[in-house]
Amino acid sequence: MPRVLLIEDDPAVREGVELGLRRRGHDVRSAATGEAGLEALSEFRPDLLLLDLMLPGMNGVQVCRRVRENSQLPIIMLTARGDDFDMIVGLEAGADDYIVKPARPEVLEARIRAVLRRIEPTDTERPATRVHGDLTIDRAALTVTKAGRRLALAPSELKLLLHLSAAPEQVFSRQQLLEHVWEHSYHADARLVDACVRRLRNKIEDDSGTPRYVQTLRGFGYRFGPL
Amino acid sequence: MSPAPTAGVPAPDGGSPVHDGAEHPEGGGGRRDPGGRRRARWSWAFGLRTRLTLAFLLVAAVSAGTTAALTYREARSALLQTAQDTAVSSFRDEVRQTGFPMPLQAEGIEGVLRDIARKGRPHPWVAFAEYGSIRASSGTSPVSGVITPQLRRAARANPHGSFQRVVKDGVPYLTIAMPTVFPTGPEGVLPTGLVLYAVMRMTDEQINVEALLTAARDGALPGLVVALLPGLLAARSVLRPVRELRRAARSMGSGRLDTRIQVRGGDELADLARTFNESAEQLEHSVRELRQAEARARRFASDVSHELRTPLAGMLAVTEVLDEDAGRLDPDTARAVRLISSETGKLAGLVEDLMEISRFDARAAELNTDELDAAEAVRKTLENRHWTDGRVRTELPEGIRVRLDPRRFDVVVANLVGNALRHGGTPVTVRLRRGTGSDGVPLLVTEVADNGPGIRPEALPHIFDRFYKADAARTRSEGSGLGLAITLENVRLHRGTVRAGNRPEGGAVFTVEIPLHTEGDGR
Amino acid sequence: MRHGHVRRWALAAAPVGALLLAGCGIQGTGVVEAGGPASVRVGPDPDFDALLFFRLPDGELTPVVRSFPPANAFPDEYEQTGGPVLPRSPERAVLALLAGPAKEDEAAGLSTSLPRTTTAGGVRVRSAADGRVLVNLPLALGALDATAVRQLICTAAYSKDRDGRVTVLVKGRDGVTATGICGLDLNGEDPGPTPTAVATRGRTAPPGPTP
Repeated sequence: MPRVLLIEDDPAVREGVELGLRRRGHDVRSAATGEAGLEALSEFRPDLLLLDLMLPGMNGVQVCRRVRENSQLPIIMLTARGDDFDMIVGLEAGADDYIVKPARPEVLEARIRAVLRRIEPTDTERPATRVHGDLTIDRAALTVTKAGRRLALAPSELKLLLHLSAAPEQVFSRQQLLEHVWEHSYHADARLVDACVRRLRNKIEDDSGTPRYVQTLRGFGYRFGPL
Repeated sequence: MSPAPTAGVPAPDGGSPVHDGAEHPEGGGGRRDPGGRRRARWSWAFGLRTRLTLAFLLVAAVSAGTTAALTYREARSALLQTAQDTAVSSFRDEVRQTGFPMPLQAEGIEGVLRDIARKGRPHPWVAFAEYGSIRASSGTSPVSGVITPQLRRAARANPHGSFQRVVKDGVPYLTIAMPTVFPTGPEGVLPTGLVLYAVMRMTDEQINVEALLTAARDGALPGLVVALLPGLLAARSVLRPVRELRRAARSMGSGRLDTRIQVRGGDELADLARTFNESAEQLEHSVRELRQAEARARRFASDVSHELRTPLAGMLAVTEVLDEDAGRLDPDTARAVRLISSETGKLAGLVEDLMEISRFDARAAELNTDELDAAEAVRKTLENRHWTDGRVRTELPEGIRVRLDPRRFDVVVANLVGNALRHGGTPVTVRLRRGTGSDGVPLLVTEVADNGPGIRPEALPHIFDRFYKADAARTRSEGSGLGLAITLENVRLHRGTVRAGNRPEGGAVFTVEIPLHTEGDGR
Repeated sequence: MRHGHVRRWALAAAPVGALLLAGCGIQGTGVVEAGGPASVRVGPDPDFDALLFFRLPDGELTPVVRSFPPANAFPDEYEQTGGPVLPRSPERAVLALLAGPAKEDEAAGLSTSLPRTTTAGGVRVRSAADGRVLVNLPLALGALDATAVRQLICTAAYSKDRDGRVTVLVKGRDGVTATGICGLDLNGEDPGPTPTAVATRGRTAPPGPTP
């Protein structure tokens, strides 16, 4: 069962979420502040971080950035609807997904599973490693190298890249990507996709202003290539 | 069950068409009374400017006219006086230089008179002589028809030169009577008994007078024209503050309450401007207070929701635990626990809706548009809510691409369908079609119709009100009571409209019209 | 309301229009006195002319000039008033008056109220010590009207005094006397409204020769 680190300042929410998730079999550790959470990180070694954005002292976005400096740990933000600005900033900082509070435990569970779910190798016949220009994508090892240098991709970024590159030149609408990569509903917030695409481009593109690998088709969505 | 009617076509006859069933509050009231505006504009033509200018012109006309008339009169009498005096004195001089035999003799007198007449000044005149029974003249008739008996009598009664102006047949004449005297000795003077008369047509004087009149008119008229310029300037100087006032009032009306007028001078208009400024200040103050009060109220609602949300988040996280373990508790406790669990869920939904509404009120709601297929969006909404078991029928033409906020459109459709399922009768029909707005904008028209009893007419105007219960018997519905209000706000955010009405064949119908291309975030 | 405005404006404009209209053209006037009369030259030659007073058709008296050439002068008749010796004599003037208007006078419509008398004698004109002029007539004064008496007084006055400013006493054959001044002089002392040299008439003496 996945180990989940919860950073949440409100004791009732912290206790409730902890209770709900533990009941569903998760190994849950919680922290009341960002600083405490970061300390617990190295010792607890969670599979996933549930991070409340509104924290006293060091806030959620800062925690997120600190984590991303040396880790590709899956991060899910806990946010309130309407705190759009914080949500966007959190996504830009490297969060993989977000959950709007208050949420039922089954919703939390579903999100956590979706983020942790690995991309299944779609086609065993084909070679696991494919080269697209400078990019080498190894679907078996789940590694991406650019010009021989390995790229550190967050789970959502990797999943998005694998999903797009599995069918080069095919256009995916943002709703489709929300459903397939994030397992959100069709009507979920497409800015989640946009933020992830931006982060991905920063890592794989030579010039993120004129993307080569992940291209935009205005009014329709995104596609991989053509190179 | 009869086949569903053709999408979007109103009933051909009988009863009012769907869309006219009731105008919900959104239906704009339009601008009324264009005639009133025209009337106002018309009265502008006879407005202050015209009246001021006219008044100025009238004053100018009166003064110019009066001056002209008075000047004319003075000039005329002076002119006539001169003419008369010249005539009288020159006549006297002529007579004085003439010798007369005493008694006068009829022979030769006419020659003498002609001599006098020739030398008439300023104009030739006709000279008459009357002595005893002798009547003679320099003209054709020995007796003048113009000389009045009064003049004769005056000339006879006292020995003075005298004249009289006589108008005969429209022609003015100057008649002069000149009695003659002669000295008898060093002192004595006796009248000779001879009276000489001169009759002079005043035609030239008349011409002069007419010329004078023309001159006065020609002088007064340009004067009036010249007066027009200061008149307009004066009108302008009065009207400028008035115009400023109007602009300021309009500016205030359009919401810029900080509008002020520059106060110039100390006249009545300046007073008016000052009063306007004071009123504007008071109004601004009142409005500011009202707005602050409103903002406080809104913030309070928002704060309350926020504060409720945090404990709810904790509670909601553990409802599952309660539900799972309820079975192991004794029945009463189990019921209580389940009640708490289910009500917690509803409370969470209610608080969520309240938050949403307060965001609309605070104008903090944002539109995150994306282009998508309308049919697919509706289908996904129904799928996500598991409304795919035949209770909801759809007529969803493919290929309608629309730009909107997917989450908000989902809320709109889900709220309308959910409302129809709760209050109306199944099957509920969701219908999509293209439409065109009154201004030619292409629209996405979404209709949600049910087969229930319809909406009572008196309930129609309030159907989108917050917490409005269309069915008084049902004190508490499954919804929060904010669903339709949130629907209305979401549609408005898309610059669209939503109407509620009843179908002629029964059942309620909600019609949402959203522009196919809502550009970006409206706020 | 608008009508009221119009009426008020019209009211304001009316006087102006009236003023303008009334000022147009030339109106008639009454009789206006303008200066004195015209003084003309008619003679009389103080040496040879005499003024006789006849009646105009309207009843007023008017003077006419009668010349008496030097040849006809009566050198024996002298006046002793200390004035210059006049070749014309007052008696001739009175006689000429009594003789009636000449042809030219009648042509001009002049007449006399005196009976025509052609007797040459019986007329005497002399100055009294009190400055009055005494005239004896050879006809009965009582039968004469006022105009006739004035004719006599004026003619006699101007024959003795060039300005005619003397009081004349006329005495008829019947003893009736009349006294008065001529009063036709425009520069006279008393040019009152009735300068009629009214002869005060009365029987101052019984008929008969004057003492």
